[in-house]
Amino acid sequence: MKNKFNPAKTGFIALSLLSVLLLSNCKKETEEIDTTYPEIITSATAFPQQCSVIKRGESFTFKTQVSDNVELGSMSIDIHNNFDHHSHSTEVNSCNMEAIKTPVKPYLLIREVSIPAGQKNYEATATVNVPSDVDPGDYHFLIRITDKAGWQTIKGISIKIN
Amino acid sequence: MRNLLIFLTCLFAAEQVYAQQFQLSGTVSNGESPIRNATVYLEGTSFSVSTNDQGQFAFASVPKGNYHLVAVSVGFGKKVFKIEIKDEHLVKNIILHKEIKQLSDVTIKDKHIEDRQKTESLNIQIVNQDFIQRNLGGSLMKSLERLPGIKTIGIGSGQSKPLIRGLGFNRVVVVDKGVKHEGQQWGADHGLEIDQFATGEIELIKGSASFIYGSDAIGGVIDILPMAIPAPNTIGGSVDLIAKSNNNLYGTSTNFYGRSKKWFFNSRFTYQNYGDYRVPTDQVYVYDYAVNLHQNQLRNTAGRETGIHFNTGYIGEKFRSTFYLSNTFTKSGFFANAHGLEPRRVNEQLHDGSSRDILNPYQSVNHFKLINRSSYQLQNQKIEIELGYQKNFREEFSQYVNHGFMPALYPTALQIPSDLEREFDKTVYSANLRDKITINAHELTVGINAEAQTNKINGWSFLVPAFDQQTIGAFAYDKIKINENLLLHGALRYDRGQINMFQYNDWFPSEIAINGVTIQQNLQRSANLKRTFNSLVWSAGLNYNLEEFSLKLNIGKSFRMPIAKELGANGVNYHYFSYEKGNPNLSPEKSYQADLTLGWTTDKWSVQLSPFYNYFPNYIYLNPTSGHDYAYGAGNQIFEYAQSSVQRFGGEVQFKYEIFKNLSTQFLGEILQAKQLSGDKKGYTLPFSPPASALFNLTYSPKFGNKLTNTYFSVDYRLTSKQDNIVPPEKKTPGYQVINIQAGTKLSFYGNPLQLSLQVQNLFDTKYLNHTSFYRLIELPEAGRNLVLSVKIPFGK
Repeated sequence: MKNKFNPAKTGFIALSLLSVLLLSNCKKETEEIDTTYPEIITSATAFPQQCSVIKRGESFTFKTQVSDNVELGSMSIDIHNNFDHHSHSTEVNSCNMEAIKTPVKPYLLIREVSIPAGQKNYEATATVNVPSDVDPGDYHFLIRITDKAGWQTIKGISIKIN
Repeated sequence: MRNLLIFLTCLFAAEQVYAQQFQLSGTVSNGESPIRNATVYLEGTSFSVSTNDQGQFAFASVPKGNYHLVAVSVGFGKKVFKIEIKDEHLVKNIILHKEIKQLSDVTIKDKHIEDRQKTESLNIQIVNQDFIQRNLGGSLMKSLERLPGIKTIGIGSGQSKPLIRGLGFNRVVVVDKGVKHEGQQWGADHGLEIDQFATGEIELIKGSASFIYGSDAIGGVIDILPMAIPAPNTIGGSVDLIAKSNNNLYGTSTNFYGRSKKWFFNSRFTYQNYGDYRVPTDQVYVYDYAVNLHQNQLRNTAGRETGIHFNTGYIGEKFRSTFYLSNTFTKSGFFANAHGLEPRRVNEQLHDGSSRDILNPYQSVNHFKLINRSSYQLQNQKIEIELGYQKNFREEFSQYVNHGFMPALYPTALQIPSDLEREFDKTVYSANLRDKITINAHELTVGINAEAQTNKINGWSFLVPAFDQQTIGAFAYDKIKINENLLLHGALRYDRGQINMFQYNDWFPSEIAINGVTIQQNLQRSANLKRTFNSLVWSAGLNYNLEEFSLKLNIGKSFRMPIAKELGANGVNYHYFSYEKGNPNLSPEKSYQADLTLGWTTDKWSVQLSPFYNYFPNYIYLNPTSGHDYAYGAGNQIFEYAQSSVQRFGGEVQFKYEIFKNLSTQFLGEILQAKQLSGDKKGYTLPFSPPASALFNLTYSPKFGNKLTNTYFSVDYRLTSKQDNIVPPEKKTPGYQVINIQAGTKLSFYGNPLQLSLQVQNLFDTKYLNHTSFYRLIELPEAGRNLVLSVKIPFGK
C-alpha cells in the first residue's frame, strides 16, 4: 500500500509551526496591569510609632502617610490586646513586654479611616478616644491599606496603653 | 488476518498441522504447564501476539533477518532471544520463570502504556511505582512534580496537592481505585490524603475530562490504580525502608500478599516520622520582623504519617471482585512563627527543645476508605461496578486568639475545645456503574456515577458552612476504529447536582451599626440555602498513528459545580487578613478546551509536543477588593467570590535522545499563560500560575552483568523562570535553578530483586522561593539539600 502522506515532513512542519506559535504567544503580554502594593511610609511625624505609649482617658491623633502608584483604596485600623504575647509586630525592633496577664476589660478598636477617591499620596489622620476604664498593658496597632486593584499592605505596631 | 490464524490455532491446537504455514511458532510455559495470555513480540516491529490457552504462539510472514524475540507475562519474567528467520520454519519453545511482581512491572507495563497512549485522545501520562521510588518526594504529588505540566501547592515537607497546568483545588479530580477521592480540596494548606507507597500505576490526564469523571475534572485527573494483583499461587511481600536527611525522616512501608489460583489478599502498612525541615538560611522575615531559625529549621513543621491498607478479592474467568480497605492518618505542624500570614510570637526555647515535637498550630487528618470494585466479562461487553465509602476527618488546632470581636477570654461554657480552631467531618458514598460494549469497530462505554456527601463543621473559627450534597451523572462514550491508523472519539454526559447548606451563627456577639445605632449581635454567617445545578458536557477527539508519527486531538466542554465555600463563605480568615464572602448566585463553571499532542518516536529519539487552549466563560475566583468590611469582616479586606471569563493556553514539550547505548538525555519543558478577560481583575492572571520551567536530564544506565540490573545514575537540572505575572494577594517570584541527582540499582537478594534508590534533592542547597507554595507569601524558602535513601527488600516465592 502506497501512502502519499509523508509522516516525517508533515510531523516536522506541524511541530515547528506549533513551537513558533507557542513562543510568539508568551511574548505578547505587554498590557499594563498594576502589580505594586500600596505603601505605608515610615516617617518621624507618623503616630503611633513602634513602642509608642498611649494614655487612657485621653484622645490621640492617628497619623500616617500612605501612597500608591495608581490609586489608594481604603484604610482600616485596629487596636487589640496582646496580653498573652500571641503575636509580634511586623516591625524590626521589638519592645519590652510586660508579663503575660489575663484581660479584664481590654480595649478594642476596629474602625475605618477615610481616604478620598483618586489619591496617590495621602496623609491619613483620625482622632481616637481611649476610654479611661480599659486594661492598661501591651497592645497591637494594626494598619491595613489597600489600593484600587486590591493589593493590601499591613503594618503591625506594638504599643502600650498606660 | 493474524488474529484469525491465532483463532484457528486454538481450534486445531496441533502444532504440526500448521507448522509449515508459519515462519515462527512455539510455546510459552513455566517448565511444567503452559502460560496463556503471555505477550510474544519481535522487538522493534509490529509483530506481537498473545499465547492461547495451550501457551502457543505463531507469526506468519516474518521477513528474513535477525530479530529479538521477546516473551513476557504478568507474574513471570521477561525473556529475550536472538533469532534468525531464514527460509525454513523456526520453532521456539520458551520457559518463563515465576517472578516477584515488582520486578516484572516495568517491562510489561511499558507496552501497555504505549498502547494506552495511542488509543486515548486526551493528553495522558502514566507512571508506576518505579517512578515514585526514583523520585520519592515528601508526598505523592511532590514525587510526581517532575512531570511536565504537573506542579504542587505544598505546605511543609509532607503535605501537597496537585496543580495541573496551573489549575488545582476543586478543578482537579483524584480518582483512587475507581472512586473519586473526596477530602477538603479547597484549602491550600490541605494535602492529598493518599499513601504514595500504596499506589499502583498512576495516570495523569492533563486537560479537561468531565465527560468521564464528572464535575471538577476541568484542570485534569489523577487516576490512581490499586497495587497490582499478585500472580497465581504466590505468597510474598516487601519491606521498604526510607530515610531523608533534610527533615530526619525515617519510615517504612511493608507489603505482604498472597494468592491461590482465584483468591488473593494484598496488605500494606506505612509509617513515616519526620522532624522540622531545614531551609538554606538561618533567618527569615515575617514582614519586616526577623525570625531566627534554630539550626535552619522551620519551627514546628514535623509530622507523622501512617497508612494501613488491606485488599482482598476473587479473580475468576469472567467475574472479579475486590474489596479495598484503607486508612491514612497524618499529623503535621504548621510553621509556628506565622499562622498563615499572621506573625506569631512563639516560645522559641520550647519549640527548639525538640525538632520532632508537634505543638500548636498543627493539623490532624484521618481518611478512611472502603471500596468494592467488581467486573463481569461477557462475550462482547464488560460490566464494571465501584462502590465506595469515605470518611475524611480533619482538625486544625491552634491556641485561641481573640481576633476581631471575639471575647478576650475563651468562654469556659463553650462546648468547642479551646484549641480546636476548625474541624471538617466529611462522609461520602459513591457508586459507579459502567458497561463497555464492543460492536464491530465501536467500543462503546455507557455509565452512571452517583455521589452523596454530608459535611459537618466544628471549631471556634468559621469559614465554610455545613452542607449536604448529592450528584448524579450519566455518560456515553464511543471510540470508533476507522482503520489501523485512525481512531475517533465522541462523548456526551449529563449531570445533576444539589447542594444544601445549613445556617451558622457566631458563638460570640459582634458590634454592628444598624441605622446608626451600634448593637451587639451574634451574626448569622450563613443561611440555609439549596441550589440545584444541571450540566451537559461533550467531548470529541481523534488519534492518528502512523509508524513513528502520532497525533492526538481532543476538544470538549467540562464543568464544575460551585462548592460550599464559593457559595456560602462569610467569615474572616484571620491567617490571611481576609474577609471571604461567598456568592450564593454563582452558576456552574464551564470550560472549553482543545488539546493537541504530536509525537515522533524512533529507536534513538522521541519528541512530544502538547499545546492546549482553554476558555472559561465564567471562571469562579476569589477577588480581593479595595474595600474593608466592619460588620461581618471586623475591619478586614473584602475578598469576594466572582465569575469572569478566562483564557488559558500553554503546553509541554518532551524530548528524549539516546546518545549512546547506556547514555540518554531528556528535556522537559512547560509554559502556561492565563488571563482574565472580564471582571474586576481584567488583564490579570489566575492565582497560583506556575512560571515557565525546563528540566534537562542526563541518565547513564550501565549494565553490570546479571548481578546488578536496572542501574542508573541520573542528573536533573531544573530551570524555572521568574513569575512577574501575579494577581492580588500574590508576590512576584524570582527565577531559580535547582539540581537533583538520582541513582539506583537492583541486586539479587536470595533470588529476589533488592532495590536501592538514592537521591540528592537540591544538591547545592540553593535558597529559592516556589511560586505555588503555601509559604510563598511569607517568603519562606524551599527545603535545602535533602538526601533520600530508600531500599525495597522483597521476599517470597
